[in-house]
Amino acid sequence: MSLQNISRRTLLRGVGVSLGLPWLEALASTPEAAPIRMGMLYMPNGVNTNHWTPEGTGRGFTLSKTLSPLADVKDRVVVLSQLWNEASKGGDGHYVKEAAILTCTTIKKTPGADLANGTSVDQMAAQSSARHTPIPSLELGVTPVAIGVDAVVGYTRVYGSHIAWSNPTTPLARELNPRAVYERLYRATTKPTGNSARMDGLLLDRVLGDARRLRAQVGSEDKARLDEYLSVMRSLEERVERASSATGQTWKPRAAIDPDAAPTDRPRDHAEHVRLMMDMIAVAFQTDTTRVATFMFGNAVSNVSFRFLEGVTAGHHDVSHHSGEADKLRQYQIINQWHIEQYAYLLRKLAAMKEGESSVLDNSMVMFASALSDGQKHDPHNLPIVVAGRAGGRIDSGQHLVYTKDSPLANLYVSMLDAFGAPVERFADSTGHLPGLLRG
Amino acid sequence: MNLRLTFLFCLAVSGAAIAQTPYSIEDGTAFLNFWCRACHTGSKPQGNFDLGVLASGQTLATEPQRWNKLISRVENLEMPPKGAPVPTAEQRAQFTEWAAMAVREQACAGGMRPGPSMIRRLNRDEYAATIRDLFDMHLDIAQALPEDGAGGEGFDNAAETLFLTGLHSEKYMAAARFIADFAAREFKSRAKIFTVEPGPQLTEDRAARMIFEKLLPRAFRRPVTGKEISPYVSLYQSARREGESFEGAVLFAVRGALVSPMFLYRAEPPNLTAARKPLEAYALASRLSYFLWGSMPDELLFDGAASGGLQEPAVLKYMVGRMLRNDRSLVFAQRFIEQWLRTRELGGEKTPDPRLFPAYAADEDLRSDIRLQPVLFFREILLRNRSLLELIDSNHTIGTRHLERHYGLQLPLNPNARQQPQWVELPQGSNRGGLLGMAAVLTVSSYPYRTSPVLRGAWIMDSILGTPPPPPPPDVPELPEQHEGAPPQSVRERLARHRADAVCASCHNRMDPLGLPLENFDAIGRWRAEDGGRPVDASAELPDGTRIDGPAGLKAALAARKDLFLRNLTGKMLGYALGRGLTIEDSCTVDHILSRLKDNNYSAQTLIEEIVLSVPFRYQAPGKSLQRENSR
Repeated sequence: MSLQNISRRTLLRGVGVSLGLPWLEALASTPEAAPIRMGMLYMPNGVNTNHWTPEGTGRGFTLSKTLSPLADVKDRVVVLSQLWNEASKGGDGHYVKEAAILTCTTIKKTPGADLANGTSVDQMAAQSSARHTPIPSLELGVTPVAIGVDAVVGYTRVYGSHIAWSNPTTPLARELNPRAVYERLYRATTKPTGNSARMDGLLLDRVLGDARRLRAQVGSEDKARLDEYLSVMRSLEERVERASSATGQTWKPRAAIDPDAAPTDRPRDHAEHVRLMMDMIAVAFQTDTTRVATFMFGNAVSNVSFRFLEGVTAGHHDVSHHSGEADKLRQYQIINQWHIEQYAYLLRKLAAMKEGESSVLDNSMVMFASALSDGQKHDPHNLPIVVAGRAGGRIDSGQHLVYTKDSPLANLYVSMLDAFGAPVERFADSTGHLPGLLRG
Repeated sequence: MNLRLTFLFCLAVSGAAIAQTPYSIEDGTAFLNFWCRACHTGSKPQGNFDLGVLASGQTLATEPQRWNKLISRVENLEMPPKGAPVPTAEQRAQFTEWAAMAVREQACAGGMRPGPSMIRRLNRDEYAATIRDLFDMHLDIAQALPEDGAGGEGFDNAAETLFLTGLHSEKYMAAARFIADFAAREFKSRAKIFTVEPGPQLTEDRAARMIFEKLLPRAFRRPVTGKEISPYVSLYQSARREGESFEGAVLFAVRGALVSPMFLYRAEPPNLTAARKPLEAYALASRLSYFLWGSMPDELLFDGAASGGLQEPAVLKYMVGRMLRNDRSLVFAQRFIEQWLRTRELGGEKTPDPRLFPAYAADEDLRSDIRLQPVLFFREILLRNRSLLELIDSNHTIGTRHLERHYGLQLPLNPNARQQPQWVELPQGSNRGGLLGMAAVLTVSSYPYRTSPVLRGAWIMDSILGTPPPPPPPDVPELPEQHEGAPPQSVRERLARHRADAVCASCHNRMDPLGLPLENFDAIGRWRAEDGGRPVDASAELPDGTRIDGPAGLKAALAARKDLFLRNLTGKMLGYALGRGLTIEDSCTVDHILSRLKDNNYSAQTLIEEIVLSVPFRYQAPGKSLQRENSR
């Protein structure tokens, strides 16, 4: 093992848990350490703020009504209060907020030609873990890309449909079909038979040649598009190579993907669709097919009808504009709580997946966030954020952490990247780590 | 395009006062000096936006981008900022209307110019249709690919938002494998690939090369050099060495072609000169075919490109007529209409609540007829070359048995084909003429559970007139709560509360009166005389005091603003045809097309023909970026 393969995380943990051991022994034990996973769940339209924030701070907190579904995993969650995303103030009510939830960058107002955001935190993580897993990251959703350009505010709806950005100009396409996700996970973890990987590599090598020839013939703006092609195809080529080599996956997961357990490709309804996507994240994490996943419960301004919930009569965005009316606030809370129930479902599922002495949840950090606090005010102050899982022991879970008003959300990402093993000096407008979240 | 004449509609209807004294450059400068200059001047102008630069009228020509930025900030009520003194809505509107016109006039001083044309990936519908035509293969392959977002004028063929991500690369690899496997089994598709067979007179290597010589120009939609073919021959040879059969090895190379950027992207040979240049003929053939068919060119287009005849206006006109009559133009009508009117959302977020509208939810045929009605209506208007104003109001519509029942109408349907959509004459006095009489439009502009005059009004301002309402102010003031025990209010009463507040009223005064006349249509477009036990009141008053009553009155009011409607439609269509957002220079092309439309009774084919004949469609801009790059 070369020194650069020893991540900062393992070093730190080596120091933390095995203080008495000789240095080399601690290192020798690291290949056994389970990898850390990062899941980012996004809910559109903010929350009913009357029922979000827990009572009490630190360890002695009581879950709010909306967060009550987290009761049985309460010791493994951290609720974070008073973080805000300064880059997402102004602009419009939704796209600027939502597209920046994982980038902490102010997006450029455009119908498309000069799209610009930042690289999202999940992709920073994926860049460091990509070489260890068959798939670098999963981007999942349940509602199609919102079409068109929102002429009222002047943003392409592409912004409202993507939270994962591999670079400032490339939003990552999402998978919506649970069965397609499952089949993709299965394919990715199955060792290629015969010479097929080598042949695929050869094929990709030739088309990269086509791309280079074409690139030489076009103007500079078009070169950028072909560079996108070259880099995407090259990384596919690398993955194909890795899949066929003996050192494919660096860590041996505790479970494999069962080819006969593929889910339906036509979920009955929104609720089942969401559940199946949660299952896909869990399977992907458990089998170490990827260590990074993002999930969107809906696009920005989503008005998915939640009338399937008892007592709800309107669409999601409609009730978020509650105008202070008691009935709409009540419905808003019910919808919020439903989302937390789905989140809790995923957490319980991950907790039940044993990984040695601990569980997949213990080795993960799964964030739940909205890009607004009160939907009525389109307010990016005091964002509703929960982080679950212990990141292999790095996260000091079971707390309600209340920060100084308007602490940067980006600081959370600095801490999460550290816990993931991909530390950064800065992330967007960060000013440092988020105190109290990580141990040691 | 940033040139959103948001307030123009309001002006057009309350314009009497403005018409008296034409707004001039002096008025514009005075506006800027009074409202903006204090902050945006000096050594440290606010937001780094120095008005000093824009002080003279010449900058309208030299700094159009800065002007557009300024116009949009003023138009969107973002400037002057909160807390500073602000102009009245009318002053604001006068200024932005004048500035937008002035910028456009200057931009057009040099005549029509071609704009940028970027390399673009085939979107997933184009990919699927191209595979269909390349291999005569009828598969729903689009579903296997990630969806595309939209940019530019709001369409999913806009070059700027056709990204390529890791997910795409995997899916393209998988699709190529699937297609090759399928082609091996399907007789018709095999025939498209294996145009020759090796035999005693023909070695396998030679046969493989001949196959690629025939196939690759079609796959890449242009002539292909021997040098470009060689890598595919060598792919074939590698597979052969690995023990693949002749056929398997050819199909392996075909898979390669299907993930090559030459197939996946549309790239036009760059213009290396410093002047505009007619587009190379094969690139023009592709522009035409992807515009009107959403797919690759057919033999006739390729022949036209090969002979060089395609650049002739008469040939182009002939091609337009021929291509519209072809069944493949249905895809064009569908993709254009469903994205322009946003009726593509009917199956998704805009699904009417099944508990409130069980008959709609249960009847798949009805839903399909509803969704197709505006698409087929538009296509008939094109094929019959009728006036585009029939989109606002018409004596005809598309009828089916299901629609007849849904609308409660007696339509003269062909009794032998009552399930089939038909072009039919509407009864006298029917409210179903034009797009606004169609359930698809009335549903997509409603909530899934009730109608909303606000949504419908905003939809009309945006989709029909091209003057979307400005965004709601950042802090929407909360309406006073309704006290308990008060009788429930009608939609109209709730709207009245909206308009009582000055901040809300500035926009709702313009949105609501456009939606209220459609209140006789429920949330799935059925006619109703009563709503919640009370008679429907479909009357409204426009900001200028004009009273309109019901759908007919609304359509008449919209017909009176036909210039706005046609400008919007022309811009949308040009943006769709070019697959990009329009620039300030393109507004000259739009102006030109509008004048041709006027001369030709607004006939629908004129719109398509004039776009195809236009400078941006047929020409390439000077190769600035390339020169810059090469001179480095």
